[in-house]
Amino acid sequence: MKLSKSKVNQALDMLAKEATVLVPMIVDGVSKFAPWGTEGKLALDIVNTLLPPKDALFPQTEKMYKYKVSAETAEVKEITDSDKQVVFGLRSCDMHSIDCMDAVFLTKGYVDNFYSRKRENLTTIAINCTKSNPTCFCDSMGVDPNNAASADMQLIDIGDAYVVEARTEKGKAVEALWQPLLEAGEGTATPISCELKLDMAGLPAKLRGMFESDIWDDGYQACIGCGTCTYICPTCYCFDINAENHGQEGVQFRCWDSCMFSEYTRMAGGHNPRPSKKERLRNRFMHKLAYFDERYNKNLCAGCGRCVVNCPVNIDITRFIEKVKEVPVNG
Amino acid sequence: MSDIQQELRKTARELLESGEVGYIIGWGKGRFANQTHPIFVKDPAKVDELVWDDYCLSTLAKYTQDDKYPEKKIGICVRGCDSRAVNRLIQDHQLKREDVYLIGIPCSGKLDPETNEPAKKCVECAHRNPVVYDVLLGSPVEEVPQPERFKEVEELEAMTPDERYNYWADVYDKCIRCYACRNVCPACNCRECYTDQYRVGWQGKQNNRAENQIFGITRAYHVGDRCIECGECQRVCPMGLPLMKLNRKMLKDINNLFGAYEAGLDTETKPALGHYETNDVEEFM
Repeated sequence: MKLSKSKVNQALDMLAKEATVLVPMIVDGVSKFAPWGTEGKLALDIVNTLLPPKDALFPQTEKMYKYKVSAETAEVKEITDSDKQVVFGLRSCDMHSIDCMDAVFLTKGYVDNFYSRKRENLTTIAINCTKSNPTCFCDSMGVDPNNAASADMQLIDIGDAYVVEARTEKGKAVEALWQPLLEAGEGTATPISCELKLDMAGLPAKLRGMFESDIWDDGYQACIGCGTCTYICPTCYCFDINAENHGQEGVQFRCWDSCMFSEYTRMAGGHNPRPSKKERLRNRFMHKLAYFDERYNKNLCAGCGRCVVNCPVNIDITRFIEKVKEVPVNG
Repeated sequence: MSDIQQELRKTARELLESGEVGYIIGWGKGRFANQTHPIFVKDPAKVDELVWDDYCLSTLAKYTQDDKYPEKKIGICVRGCDSRAVNRLIQDHQLKREDVYLIGIPCSGKLDPETNEPAKKCVECAHRNPVVYDVLLGSPVEEVPQPERFKEVEELEAMTPDERYNYWADVYDKCIRCYACRNVCPACNCRECYTDQYRVGWQGKQNNRAENQIFGITRAYHVGDRCIECGECQRVCPMGLPLMKLNRKMLKDINNLFGAYEAGLDTETKPALGHYETNDVEEFM
């Protein structure tokens, strides 16, 4: 079945009756996944939004518990709000990022309730890429820009229409909802690949032996220690927990944190095991390219290129990967 | 431009070989033609990594704050903006003039890597030539007067309070609090930023309008008369927030109250808010 591009707005309207539908839009100059109906411009033709759809599952600030203290009792109430959400038009790199977050928040013996409620209520509708940006390198990271395997539904761009492939029950429910709009028809898209190629073979294992390598002594100096790379990254999932207290009651919340901040690893008493930008940058690259692979068997870098474009001082993970390749083993 | 690049490499080699400086902070090329980044060259054999082209956007003086007690002088490439940042840091007693060797480079402005149009911060620049240096590469360029320095501020001032509130609410609803503006700013040189004093709780870590606005307005007040108008905060902001409007509002008021004022042009003129004179206006007292 296929969905004509002229009927996309109707398809989104139908979905929006049942759920909050997040679509790539340019809102006030910023490209991001915004609720359908927001004032802005639908932007299905751009390769990557500046802000990834990460906060649909992992909001920058998420209220967790309400608490109230009276005379001798304390009441704690978990905040369980979770509306139905659909992410429409996400790319394979962003779907890979959701796979990474699923691994973190749902596996290895601990299920994060706040995440899992949102995840259960989320339907993912991916669209294949028909072009790549010069900074895209997802296919070097094990991501296929033509197909987001784990999405509930894959739309395949065949020019004037999308071929609809429902892959899960949630995907089939969307297909059923869209039935009045769909037409018979098949088609394929010409597969694309990224121009920027990186050789990742053996790199995670090599990096694991390079914690003390000289490679970290050069390049970190330019870092300004801001959180741009981590906050626009679709896979970065670090958070801090804090409370907003008003007298006898308050709300506990969690919010994004960044390993690039000096205060991130500061311990009680003031000791900081990552005292300079060198150790912080090493941690970011090691986490993306080695530690995560060791624990979850995939790269925590989706190859979307957002940090490569937006780092204010052009710290470039792709150039770092090439540099790692060049140094001798045990270097 | 390539002549200056050649001269820069030659000067850098001489400075490193003679031991006059320990290393040189300049710009190096990124993967793509429209990218450069700050580089730190120690080895005279690597001076050819230094570039001077249309995309040398980063300001460099702030990096001296990562090396406050250098063994040898730090060589820094300085345009107008970088040199004013050097003065700013010297005046704040965060840098000693004798700890830096300033390689002055007159600058005709850089390009926005996204649009290839002249970068906004360079279009608004009133001091293209370094205001302090030890050696000058090339010849001074003509300065461009900025009669519209406060035009954007006047547009804001013409709004009603409600319109203005809504304007800034929209701006700070977009802020992701990455702190790139603070970290790049040569006037933000506190040893520990108030935002990081989390146990005191000046600044909540949650991202919402109130906390984001508190950050924006506190930073603007803290920077106050020390803003050298390099425009780096606005350039590095990933969300494209018009942060210079806030800084220039401060500067406009300072100019109105205390007379013509620009920060960092020398190290002798005291910052307008950093000292008092008996004939200062005091209508707000």
